[in-house]
Amino acid sequence: MKPYDLVIIGGGAAGLAALKGAYDEKLKILLIERDKTLGGILKQCIHNGFGLHHYKEELTGPEYAERGVNEVLGLNVDIITDTTVIDVLKENGTFELKVINTKKGEHSIHSTSVIISSGCYERTRGAIQLPGDRPAGIMPAGSAQRYLNMEGYMVGKKVFILGSGDIGLIMARRMKLEGAEVLGVAELMPHSNGLTRNIVQCLHDFDIPLFLSHTISDIKGKDVLESITISEVDENFEYIDGTEKSFDVDTLLLSVGLIPDINMFDSLKFDVSKKTGGAIVDQTYQTSVEGLFACGNALHVHDLVDFVTEESTKAGEQAKAYILNNKKRSNNMISVTPSSNVSYLLPQTLDMDDEFEDVILSLRTTTNAMSGKFHIYQGENLLFTKKAKFVVPAEMEKLTIKKEMLKYKGPITVQFEVVNV
Amino acid sequence: MTYDFLIIGSGITGASIARELSKYNTNTIVLEKENDAANHATTANSAIIHSGYDPDPNSLKAKLNVEGNKLYDTLEEELDIPLFKNGAFMVAHDKEEEGLLERYLQRAITNGVPGVEILDQKKARELEPNLADSVTKVLNLPSTKVTYPWEVALASLENAIKNGVTFEKNKAVKSIEKHVDYYLVTTEDGSTYQTRYVINAAGAFAEKIAKMVEKKLPYHIRPRKGEYLVLDRRVKGFLQRTLYPTPDEKGKGILLVPQYHGNILIGPNSETQGSLDDVSNSKGGLNVVKEGALKLAKNIPFHQNIRTFAGVRASSTHKDFYIKESLDNEGFIHVAGIDSPGLTAAPAIAKYVVETIIQPKEKLNVNEEFNPYRRVIKLYDDMTAQEKEQAFNEDSRYGNLVCKCERITEGDIVRHIHREVKSDSVKAVKKRARAGAGICQGGYCEYQVIKILARELGKTPLEVNYFSNHSNILKSETKVKK
Repeated sequence: MKPYDLVIIGGGAAGLAALKGAYDEKLKILLIERDKTLGGILKQCIHNGFGLHHYKEELTGPEYAERGVNEVLGLNVDIITDTTVIDVLKENGTFELKVINTKKGEHSIHSTSVIISSGCYERTRGAIQLPGDRPAGIMPAGSAQRYLNMEGYMVGKKVFILGSGDIGLIMARRMKLEGAEVLGVAELMPHSNGLTRNIVQCLHDFDIPLFLSHTISDIKGKDVLESITISEVDENFEYIDGTEKSFDVDTLLLSVGLIPDINMFDSLKFDVSKKTGGAIVDQTYQTSVEGLFACGNALHVHDLVDFVTEESTKAGEQAKAYILNNKKRSNNMISVTPSSNVSYLLPQTLDMDDEFEDVILSLRTTTNAMSGKFHIYQGENLLFTKKAKFVVPAEMEKLTIKKEMLKYKGPITVQFEVVNV
Repeated sequence: MTYDFLIIGSGITGASIARELSKYNTNTIVLEKENDAANHATTANSAIIHSGYDPDPNSLKAKLNVEGNKLYDTLEEELDIPLFKNGAFMVAHDKEEEGLLERYLQRAITNGVPGVEILDQKKARELEPNLADSVTKVLNLPSTKVTYPWEVALASLENAIKNGVTFEKNKAVKSIEKHVDYYLVTTEDGSTYQTRYVINAAGAFAEKIAKMVEKKLPYHIRPRKGEYLVLDRRVKGFLQRTLYPTPDEKGKGILLVPQYHGNILIGPNSETQGSLDDVSNSKGGLNVVKEGALKLAKNIPFHQNIRTFAGVRASSTHKDFYIKESLDNEGFIHVAGIDSPGLTAAPAIAKYVVETIIQPKEKLNVNEEFNPYRRVIKLYDDMTAQEKEQAFNEDSRYGNLVCKCERITEGDIVRHIHREVKSDSVKAVKKRARAGAGICQGGYCEYQVIKILARELGKTPLEVNYFSNHSNILKSETKVKK
């Protein structure tokens, strides 16, 4: 069988947008989805608030997913669902994808390029070394969301939430609406990790207290969860004695971080960023392995799905250009690295070939600021400064590097100067 | 009916004794208080088959450790258990610790440990590049191995069942009455059992059980908790050998232990506690574990930590294993104080109980039909390409990848649910088939495992337990159902 020109792995928001971006009737394209239907995690996000940027209207997760699906339905591409990628290898310039499903068992699919759009998974209790007993009733917020919105089950009636990530906030409201008592949300950091609108609409509107600079210091329960204790933490995240508060709950939901889900690509050994947990990419979303692209939450975890769509469409377009133009990477690569008050940025490398065009950097800061300034340097030289207002780590910032700015040689660094806290 | 032998506890000790007794024509039953075999110390330990370098040469521990280590090679052949023959280093950081290496080298030789030698740091680093920079010399202990402890217990128990032993779970012993020529054992649910011998292999609960019969006890259980960190199996290659510090009065110390499937265990600390089953983790305990590990190796990928756990050692005031028939109550056999190297010694403990304690009093006839062999139900991911194809052709559920972190299929899960000792909880499935043992810790597959368990066991998802009875994950159905 003739190999595919492009295989897209994952049919959520990222994969659907990448497919749309990459589509060309000359190309043979396949999209692989492990679930029964397309749409990814959006399907379990039955709340609204999606699409304000991309579609200029407010949609629920399933509605947003449906639009993405409808946009690719008529296209002349192959789509297989209920199929999981186990391993990906690259030999003689061709990718071999080992996939498995109940129709054909384990088999291989070949392609000249691949887009990783496999989303992310939730950080677990073990990864953050929560102390205490280990009874039933402690789970990632997204798992509880799946049980509730997709499977039709409540995981508990008295709930506490650790972490103020958006899923945690959304689930606080969701459990409350479904009749549970939600006793509070604890956040280790002195600031929330979720979108401001979610703090307001999910916590404030439902009188759910948010305990900043607090974490779980004990968990009790033999068979099922019986109680948790939270403690305030100091600047080194150590518990402050005497600040303990206990809550009798049967459920502890964790919203303590999302991590790109890319372990099925381990064999390809591409460069991975310690900061994002995803691939290191250039401005074409190409990883250190030629012909391998990454986008969406499998690349870095986004605050809004709209930005996933935007980024993944571009990644798809770049993959298309790569295949159609048979374009090889130049030897003129420079690095883009975060410096003070910037936690991470993308792309981490720039291919400075002749066709270099303006690049939009996506980045997050490490601190809150009412106002501040982003400074971009090349070597010692300041390229430009951009003022910013209401900057929070939970929300992604964007900066454009214009072609004409790059008058110097050497690596680029980006820093954030806080003007007013 | 009167049983010949009633074993209390189906941890590695009880399961090994059950299998040993099944080699003879006996009427033997094993009672387990939990809803699965091997649920306490056997699921929460370092998984090491120790060489036998540290027990006092005159102790039962020394004898049974070295014998047990050898017997694991037989178990590997007969029961098809996982055995990772990776060896170990005990590390020294200064002259004083180097002196200890010399002492343990001599002790290892006295105890009959094969192949031991002291290596200088250059040689040691060639073999283990991630040894801590501060390490000056190591004691090489090549006969040290790693196994998958609960699989050994399950395999032993399942083989015993095949050879005629009865196993009953959810049977917590409530009382033991001594009669003239039998014991009457009553469990919490009201079941009663008559037996000529009671073998107390109740681990941390051994004293509690013994007190049902004995007025005076020659030992007291002093539970000692140990906490651990687990690193993801993708750290494979970071370390080949198990690393030990030089032992102190608390025991073998905090170790780095590469596991059969590639994970690394870090731990345990050692804290005496009152509770027999408090296996909670603490920030302080885990910090002690991390600090201990840094003395052994550098570049430890702590960021690949996927889980923490703790186990309780069934240590006793007797220090050595206490394996004896009661002086006052004939037919009541203590197998108590089984802390480290209990896992290693278990098959030798079983032989010792049968050959040294029982056989001098009881003529046991060899079970001519005893079949020592058991074959593991191979997981899909461990199969050859040909085996995979055959498995899928026979059951297309091998094509449904449920746990993507550990690559476990629905075919694997179904077969491991219906093993001789059935799985009826999410944890029991994880113990046998590893579903949920990876980086996402069941975040992706747990709902599917619950559905499969419900279907296979004829339950509703609401009735499926996380681990113990009454630990259901799903609490109620929502108002609107599809």
